[in-house]
Amino acid sequence: MQRMAAESRRSQMLRGVLDLCLLAVVVDEPAYGYEMTRRLRERGLSTVGEGSIYPLLGRLERDGLVATHRAASDGGPPRKYYSASPSGHRALTEGVRAWRDVRGEVDSVLATIEAEVA
Amino acid sequence: MTAYVEECRQEWKRLGVPDLLADEMATDLEADLAEAQADGISAAEILGESDPRRFAAAWARERGLVDEPPPERRHRRRWIWATVGFALALVFVVVLGLFAAVGVSVHTHVSGPGPQTLRSVVIPSFIGMKACHAREIGLESGLQVERIPSRRCDAVVVAQQPVRGTLIPLPQRRRIIVTLRLRG
Repeated sequence: MQRMAAESRRSQMLRGVLDLCLLAVVVDEPAYGYEMTRRLRERGLSTVGEGSIYPLLGRLERDGLVATHRAASDGGPPRKYYSASPSGHRALTEGVRAWRDVRGEVDSVLATIEAEVA
Repeated sequence: MTAYVEECRQEWKRLGVPDLLADEMATDLEADLAEAQADGISAAEILGESDPRRFAAAWARERGLVDEPPPERRHRRRWIWATVGFALALVFVVVLGLFAAVGVSVHTHVSGPGPQTLRSVVIPSFIGMKACHAREIGLESGLQVERIPSRRCDAVVVAQQPVRGTLIPLPQRRRIIVTLRLRG
């Protein structure tokens, strides 16, 4: 029960910033859908339980925060590559600033609480 | 094509997603799933949704390829009724609250009889009168009227019990309470 609650909380927290994470992994180099999942995992973020990234990518595309193009992938069919657009760069910068502000504020509230590690 | 992707295709077709875009999404998804499987990554991580139709609809919606789903008519109707019900309940509570907060706190008890020669009294109408005027009318009707605080003199009578025209027989020593509710 507690584990489910913890997962639910993690999921809720991640949903607010997953779009930033996706922008972050294509800000320097374009990537196709699965490649983005792989980059997230390499940086320590598993998206299991957070829902698929595809609808989120669809929203980023609709909002003009990512640019797309099709290109051949290594040995596979042509893939749709995503990269951060100028608007996406700005959104990422602002989003990261907001995230750090919130994180700092929350940390200062929670800093006095010692987490028990089972 | 996997069964999951095939169901996505059907859903996109049903939603009216252009074939070209549906093909593109299906191809990308198929390739991604195959690559993930080769890496030992679960389809759950890639898809995040066990229901292909829901997944497909969410993706198309977020891309702006289909409109937001309208709420079901039945649900919409239920919401309308719920809203109307809530509004009525709110009005009821507010009216009740007004009576309780304003009226009850200034209940004016008009008691009778005055002169013992009266054998009955007809309750006059006090509704719409200012409180002090109602008191005068009550006195003229042979009722004993409790004092009304001067600050409530201009409050308006909005209800009364017994209602006007009620014939009250007055056996000796019997005490009739006429309750007025005031507002203002």
